[in-house]
Amino acid sequence: MSNETNSGGGAGNTGGGGEPKVQIKVQTPRGLWSMDEPKDATHRPEYPISAKIQNVIDDVRNVFKFAESDSKYTLFLGKVELDPNHTLASHQIKTGTLLVLSVQGGNA
Amino acid sequence: MTVPTVVTIEQVREELADVANYAMAADLGFDASRLSESHLLFYVTFSSRDGIEFVAEVDCQEYPFHPPTIEFVDAPRKRRGTRDLYPSCFHTMPCVCARYNRKAYKALGGPHGDWRLIDWQLPTEAGPKIESLAMIVSDLHSKIAASSGRMG
Repeated sequence: MSNETNSGGGAGNTGGGGEPKVQIKVQTPRGLWSMDEPKDATHRPEYPISAKIQNVIDDVRNVFKFAESDSKYTLFLGKVELDPNHTLASHQIKTGTLLVLSVQGGNA
Repeated sequence: MTVPTVVTIEQVREELADVANYAMAADLGFDASRLSESHLLFYVTFSSRDGIEFVAEVDCQEYPFHPPTIEFVDAPRKRRGTRDLYPSCFHTMPCVCARYNRKAYKALGGPHGDWRLIDWQLPTEAGPKIESLAMIVSDLHSKIAASSGRMG
């Protein structure tokens, strides 16, 4: 899992000269992850734009206790599947963007 | 054991909030407009990788004691369960071969005589547990979005 996210900062916010950050939302089958939901979340979805999609997947799994390592976890932006090795910036993700975490179990 | 319909409808309504939110975010079609004690059905429309739409009917009778029955139907919801209505990623019976689908159980004509309906939320050798309607929809979404074409 990645380190706890920083506070403050939105789209284009350089956080006092640092890298721009974005605040996103992630819908999962167990609920929404945002800057204020769920109340007891230990992380918030604020990332530097160079963060990888895989970082977001790891963090949202942690927040919603998706512990099963044999599941397949995929982030979507609408109908578009996001490459876990690409950055948020490469997918043009901005503050307020809503992503979806799909969780695939197995067949028989 | 049967589940009183009032119990099922309350459980389904409670869980449908998560299903609706998930469907909206994932750009899936979602219709529970006719859900009632005598009509325990809702519909989700998925898209495959190549843009073909598939409509899944989720029949929640006796949920959550028993899993729902997942069946693919045509857009007017008049034809159901034929291979041309299925994405290519599922069992060629045709059937969504998962513990969360009643159709997969041998007692209901499916391939699995080794599963018990009351154990539907347990993991299988091929995957972890899927314990809610939103998790079921997410599993279907993931599989169909990665597949191409119709089964038949």
